[in-house]
Amino acid sequence: MNPLKVEQVVKQYGDKTAVNGLSFEVSEGEIYGLLGANGAGKTTTMRMILGLIFPDDGDIRYFGNIYSQEQLSMLGYLPEERGMYPKIKVSDQIIYLAQLRGMSRKDAETNLKHWLDKFQVPEYYDKKIEELSKGNQQKIQFIAAVIHKPRILILDEAFSGLDPVNVELLKSTVKELRDNGTSIVFSTHRMEHVEELCRNITIMHKSKPVLQGPIREIKKQFPQERVILSAEGEVTGLEAITGVTQVVRQENSYECTVQSPDVAQHILKHALAQGPVRRFELMEPTLNEIFIRTVGERHE
Amino acid sequence: MNKLGTVISFTLRNKLRSKAFIISTVVLMLLVIVGGNVPYLINKLGGEDKASQVGYVAGQYPDIIQKLQIQYAAQPEPDVVLQNSADEAQLKQWVEDGTLTGYLTFQENKEAGFPDVTYHAKSALGSGTSRSLSATLQAVKAQMVVEDAGLTEAQIKMLQTPVQLKNEQISLTNGTGKTEEEQNTAIGLTYVVVILLFMSVMITGQLIATEITAEKSSRVMEIIVTSVSPLTQMWGKIIGMFVVAVLQIAVILGALTVNINLPHNAEAFRAMGIRLDTIDPTMIVYAILFFLAGFFMYATLFAAVGSIVSRTEDLGQAVLPITMLTLVGFYVAMFGLTHPESPLIVICSFIPFFSPFLMVLRVGLANPGWWEVILAFVILIVSTLAIGWLSAKIYRAGVLMYGKRPSLKELVKAMKAYKV
Repeated sequence: MNPLKVEQVVKQYGDKTAVNGLSFEVSEGEIYGLLGANGAGKTTTMRMILGLIFPDDGDIRYFGNIYSQEQLSMLGYLPEERGMYPKIKVSDQIIYLAQLRGMSRKDAETNLKHWLDKFQVPEYYDKKIEELSKGNQQKIQFIAAVIHKPRILILDEAFSGLDPVNVELLKSTVKELRDNGTSIVFSTHRMEHVEELCRNITIMHKSKPVLQGPIREIKKQFPQERVILSAEGEVTGLEAITGVTQVVRQENSYECTVQSPDVAQHILKHALAQGPVRRFELMEPTLNEIFIRTVGERHE
Repeated sequence: MNKLGTVISFTLRNKLRSKAFIISTVVLMLLVIVGGNVPYLINKLGGEDKASQVGYVAGQYPDIIQKLQIQYAAQPEPDVVLQNSADEAQLKQWVEDGTLTGYLTFQENKEAGFPDVTYHAKSALGSGTSRSLSATLQAVKAQMVVEDAGLTEAQIKMLQTPVQLKNEQISLTNGTGKTEEEQNTAIGLTYVVVILLFMSVMITGQLIATEITAEKSSRVMEIIVTSVSPLTQMWGKIIGMFVVAVLQIAVILGALTVNINLPHNAEAFRAMGIRLDTIDPTMIVYAILFFLAGFFMYATLFAAVGSIVSRTEDLGQAVLPITMLTLVGFYVAMFGLTHPESPLIVICSFIPFFSPFLMVLRVGLANPGWWEVILAFVILIVSTLAIGWLSAKIYRAGVLMYGKRPSLKELVKAMKAYKV
């Protein structure tokens, strides 16, 4: 049984529909990408999973069970808008939050120390939040979300505002949690993170899911239409090949847009006829392109 | 229930540790200690043992001076002692160096049949000596006139004895009325209770609203309400703050009680007619009951308002209606201290927003029927529950609403959306 199953949920605020018929499942040890432009309904979906608001229609199951107060202790949440008590010590507030999630004080203390060590900031235990830098506040916020060892974790823009070193640190932590069996719902605008972390995704647009499934499958639905070519010498006449719609000359290579994948072979032959080829690749569409296309097209 | 305890203890711990709370409690305590000693200090400083030394020029109107001296001598604790001197310059000198408080000079006034008297002193205004002299001189004048009229000693005495007017409040319930002393105590105590109620409701209410708005604006709220139900959180906060308020009141009342009961103060209070042992215990019981209900009613209201606002800057404006409400209650109660039977007070004492102040006041100063007290209390309890329920609904929807302060319509919409 999957830890999290969202089935045909609908949520309306007055006459505005925030989420319309969304379904997805997250299995154990999986990071699920929930993508969409601003206002697409991601936050509402997360709030429904967290039980803050109830869906008007549809069903959300946690290990097969419907929502109840007891489920709260197995949910972890990192909200998009970060917030902690600025004037209260890190240890006080994290332990408080852990206790609210049903942990004993002692366990919470041990876990907090463990996490602070892991992030190499054990000295923050007795510091007030307002004394920390933004990136370090974010680490504390992350600890608040995972301290009680949730089985389902919801991360809304987990890596925003962090420097590359800290992004890597948190990313590897998220991967570790995944490998330990945590089911993670992951929302971000950084598509490269999604490609790196997620197996399955849903792209939402204007409250509806518009694209759903494993990333690999999704990519197959989109034509491979970019060819990268770089050769020893200059390659001429690429534009003349039938099926090539555009050629962009870059510093050491050419980027061609093709109508279908088999046109790529013509490009390769054409180039080989002129000299040795150093690099040739038929590019998969990036998730970024897919996202912009999917969401952008529907904007019109 | 366990989580409620966690929220309560977290609220308590942070509040009791905060510098602002500690400082304000200490300051209030000091004020109360000073206040408790004021009657004693007044006695000590303005002392009856220190009679003013008033001089006069020897030889001027000796009969008046003599009668004046007899008048003062007849007083149990004379507040003026007369000193003579040969000339005015000498008197002036004595006033200058402080041996005399002031001195008298006389001016012939044929029409009045009594000379005009001038009291020369360093501080001319509001001095008790001047008042005392004026009254005694008046008595001297009356005595001289009466003596001229040829009245007997007994008749003169009769004229001089002041009329005795005693106040006693009639009680409809139990035969014995309240004596003046009891009434004074009741007014004093009622005053203290009303002020305590008002302060704890206002200060604690504001604090609750501020804390909730702060949690909202710092977005901790999102994590908290995903860990614990919003209502548990709201009640935890309210109960925690309630405990804080009760602790603070206990400290202040404790300081006050200790000070009032110190031997030197106890005497001073008794001399002023304030006797704590005349306090009616039923009034204290009513005061506590009304305080509890009133506190929770206002606390939930403040919590609801705090939950709607998302920025601390907007809070002052948002709580204004509640502040006005408590202020109206407070000022009506102040008016009621002197007019406890007025219809305005009677009617307002049944309105739940005012009854915590006013019914307590009526119990203290007037004699409301027991059914009136019960009725007011039932109305208050029912309203507290209703307001608590409504506030909880608003809170549930309010804590997750960000942006500008929602209109009533938007709020109702949100309450429907959140199915609360």
